[in-house]
Amino acid sequence: MTLLRRNRRRRTQATAERGLVSYAEWRRPAIRWTLRLIQGGTLLFLLVFGLGPLLWLAKSSITPTQDTLRAPMALFPHGFDLGFFVTAWTQTHIDRYFLNTVWIALGSWFVQIATATTAGYALSVLRPRFARVLTGLVLATLFVPSIVLLVPLYLTVVDVPLLHIRMIDSFWAVWLPAGANAFNVILVKRFFDNLPREIFEAARVDGAGPFRLFWSIVLAMSRPILGVVSVFAVIGTWKDYLWPLLVLRNPDIQPLSVRLPTLQPTTELDIFLAALAIATVIPIGVFLLFQRMFLRGGGLGGAIKG
Amino acid sequence: MPPSPLLRRKADAPSMGLRAQAIAASSAPLVRRQRRAWLTRDGLSTLVFLLPLLLIFGLFSWFPIIRSVVMSVQVTNLVSTPRFVGLDNFANVLADPLFGKAVANTAYFALLALIIGFPIPLVLAVIMSEVRRFKGIYSALAYLPVVIPPVVSVLLWRFFFDPRAAGVFNTILGWVGLGPLPWLQDSGWAMPSIVLEATWAAAGGTVIIYLAALLSVPSELYDAADVDGATIWQKIRYVTLPHLRAVLLITLILQLIATAQLFTEPFLFTGGGPANATITVLLLIYHYAFQNSLGGDYGMAAALSVMLAVFLGVFTAGYLWLTRSWSTTS
Amino acid sequence: MAVMTHRGLRALALAASAIVVVSACSAATTTTAPTSAASAAPAATSEPSAAAHKPVTITVASLRPGSTQDAFDAFNLQTSQFEAKYPWITVNGQEYNWTAPDFTAALAAGTLPDVYTIPFTDGKGLIQQGQLVNIDARVRALPYASKFNPNVLVNGQDATGKIFAVPIQAYAMSLTYNRTLFTQAGLDPTKPPTTWDEIEADAKIISTKDNVAGFSQMATQNTGGWQLTTLTYALGGRMESTDANGKTTATVNNPQTKAALQMLQKMRWTDGSMGSTFDYNWGSMNQGYASGQVGMFVGGSDLYTTLIQNDNLTPADYGITTIPLASDPNAGVLGGGTLAAVNVNTTEDQRDAAVDWIDFYYMNKLNTQAGAVADAQALVANKQPVGVPSLPIFDKATYDQSQQWIKDLINVPTDQMTPFTSGIFQQPLVNEPRVNTQDLYAALDPVVQAVLTDKNADIDALLNAANTTVQAIIDKG
Repeated sequence: MTLLRRNRRRRTQATAERGLVSYAEWRRPAIRWTLRLIQGGTLLFLLVFGLGPLLWLAKSSITPTQDTLRAPMALFPHGFDLGFFVTAWTQTHIDRYFLNTVWIALGSWFVQIATATTAGYALSVLRPRFARVLTGLVLATLFVPSIVLLVPLYLTVVDVPLLHIRMIDSFWAVWLPAGANAFNVILVKRFFDNLPREIFEAARVDGAGPFRLFWSIVLAMSRPILGVVSVFAVIGTWKDYLWPLLVLRNPDIQPLSVRLPTLQPTTELDIFLAALAIATVIPIGVFLLFQRMFLRGGGLGGAIKG
Repeated sequence: MPPSPLLRRKADAPSMGLRAQAIAASSAPLVRRQRRAWLTRDGLSTLVFLLPLLLIFGLFSWFPIIRSVVMSVQVTNLVSTPRFVGLDNFANVLADPLFGKAVANTAYFALLALIIGFPIPLVLAVIMSEVRRFKGIYSALAYLPVVIPPVVSVLLWRFFFDPRAAGVFNTILGWVGLGPLPWLQDSGWAMPSIVLEATWAAAGGTVIIYLAALLSVPSELYDAADVDGATIWQKIRYVTLPHLRAVLLITLILQLIATAQLFTEPFLFTGGGPANATITVLLLIYHYAFQNSLGGDYGMAAALSVMLAVFLGVFTAGYLWLTRSWSTTS
Repeated sequence: MAVMTHRGLRALALAASAIVVVSACSAATTTTAPTSAASAAPAATSEPSAAAHKPVTITVASLRPGSTQDAFDAFNLQTSQFEAKYPWITVNGQEYNWTAPDFTAALAAGTLPDVYTIPFTDGKGLIQQGQLVNIDARVRALPYASKFNPNVLVNGQDATGKIFAVPIQAYAMSLTYNRTLFTQAGLDPTKPPTTWDEIEADAKIISTKDNVAGFSQMATQNTGGWQLTTLTYALGGRMESTDANGKTTATVNNPQTKAALQMLQKMRWTDGSMGSTFDYNWGSMNQGYASGQVGMFVGGSDLYTTLIQNDNLTPADYGITTIPLASDPNAGVLGGGTLAAVNVNTTEDQRDAAVDWIDFYYMNKLNTQAGAVADAQALVANKQPVGVPSLPIFDKATYDQSQQWIKDLINVPTDQMTPFTSGIFQQPLVNEPRVNTQDLYAALDPVVQAVLTDKNADIDALLNAANTTVQAIIDKG
């Protein structure tokens, strides 16, 4: 978070910014042209490796199977067929699975925000006597890798203790465990810790109870951290594979990530590639629209696999 | 000259002016008294706010963790009641030839990922930090692979790795006269292939983190270095990299921890093959729990999970202790 | 202040309604096959028959995911025919595909349909675990119960002979080959190889002339072990032996298995006739074959249907012949099949309905002319294959009779299948290994993979290690 704060500070400074290379060095042609070359080469590299696979996917999703198998790098040796998209949409029902992914993302996001804000508020502002203990317990889970949870969490979801309900094959099995994210809680709690206390005092003097304080003041001031938590939550849902694979057995509610591998053995290659292309369009569209938010808070989420 | 950002106070809350700080400081005792009164008066509301935390963490975090440890010393399947077997599960795991293979493979992946996946984002970030125009395009392009859902990436790359001469990568290799490679079909090539895809998919995120850190290097330091007559190389070595140390160390340990939990890529690419060349620890846990005859051996799966968790804990602690003097305060 | 309260309440109400909407959506898990018209009808509105049958709904395994719309239409047609005959039963189809790794997870999660199918190999194990319903009384009440081939029925019976699962289909392993690739390589598709030497030679010719895999072998998801067992049987070996006391010994490292692996090694490394893909499983092998990348492989005799429904096979490519058997007296063809079972998480009424469904959908076409013709007509109406050769569940006479009934509706190229159909009934059928079959196959997968991907694979060491592993599993019970 310190990095983000520093970043903001930098932008508000005077425009005379410089990086590694000084102005004097820029003026020397040898350095300037070498750097330009390196940058151009890097751009080319990024185009090929960042954009290349996607362009190939777009091309191949309208190329018939035999052409893709025989000459994958050729450009439409026997023409193209936009109909594969239609077939993929109707036969493999991408829209249903994409909608499932969206539902899962929404629910997980809500559970994560709700848990993190209420917990952060209680631990940071309300501060009951046992706040330290709770915070410690939450912190402790940060050091436990998620694999440890896999098997017993699965058994819990199959048969929730005390309540004896089965959450398998319902979105709750993905939503609720998503909330048990210590990273979020600590993040939000830290943020709340840094909020100026005298505003709370002022509100209290005005007669605000804890709920009003939470809703109207604390949350209203927390937009930045909520944004960060939201980005993490959405990215996390998108990347999730193993857990939804285990708990969402019913194909009707499976997200894209679980469904696509199942379809591959029994679907024609051209239709399958079209399905993959459709599955890619939406996240990329969302990314291009909300680039700022992704690149600011998503970097950390992207580096953490699994 | 305005005070360097380094000298500004750490607690940089939004509207924290000097006056507000004074008020906050002076009203501290009053606040504390009022807080305690608040608690006794509104203890119920505190409980209400803590309820989501207690329920969610209790059911889905604390209880499963404890249960995991308990299960690791029991024999559990879903049919009969669990019975206590002491350290048998751990012994069985250690005796399993697949265990050694899984550990070796995971370590091998970690090593390869480090060699390939660590320097590339750094180099990219350094180059990109100097870009004047179109910086957004560079960032967007670098981050694009991260945005693609991992399953889609893996399925796409599995097709790229087609071992026939007419496979995508083999065709490209053919352009430069290199022979077709077996990629995922060969026990020697399978793991490096997976590392290739994993690096491609994750590099963008790391680049963005490094970029943010690079942009936070105060320009005064570079000015000072220029005055001292440093070349670009020297500036990178003596100003940029040391400043990045903290970020580098954190991303390193995060990458290692993520590596230890590698599942999706080997599962979808090779299912652990060929001939167990790509089975990782997490794949083995999955195998114990969900692929073992009719009814999984959850005890062994839990035992292996616990072993991995303990290892990662010790490893992280050791790592943090060893590097404590290296990371700059940030 | 009052405004804030109002806003707060409104926000709370919004959140609450959001939760309600969301949970309603998540609870809507009706498992209907795509565009299935019949299954949407709620059970309560159907007219109960005079015998006071309570309305009941069952989920049944329908087709593999990704099957063509035509295939699903045929299934829906048959579903509506069933519901017309049994108006108190509502049938919901659920996509289903049995693969070894997926099945155990589905079993643990309890998400299998009420009627599902399993291979012969899993019958006894599931029965022992109490996962299958005892449907003995219901099945024995069916008119053809006594006509079951006992060798086939045994896979769905427990130790005392009670029926827990009904055999619905039996297959034998065959040599499936691509007639078009044969022709292109200059070989005669009507005269497929009849010995293993000929297979090796033809594979070499095909891979050289057509630049595809001449012979291909599955190796993942337990299919490697399954195929290796097939080759072993064909050479006269066995993977397990059970003595008189019921103790089973693993004999994976027998000379015939070694010979089979050596043959594969030769084809792979010396002849180079096995192409370059060695991680085929059942599904991807079908795909590879249908897209013309595989000249020959050892596949089940029942593949034609799935090749049409899922893999877009060109019918003229399909060729099938018997597996060459060595002159060893023990040589035989591995035979397997599919059982239909009832999920243990069902009510008594559902179990009645389930057996009715099994009777109608799976068995009727084998026993009654009306059933056979109706089934064939439904399939033909939706361009699905009719007349794919299979092995008798009952006796050969019944099988011949059922083929006779639908003679005019057969739309598969039966003349392309004569090398198989004319020879299979002379070959001795051998059942798959009895004990821990899937575990045995899983332990052999890495052996096959190693031979195919590592030039210096030590076959003896691999087989001995696998034998130890399998013996340990068997001993653990």
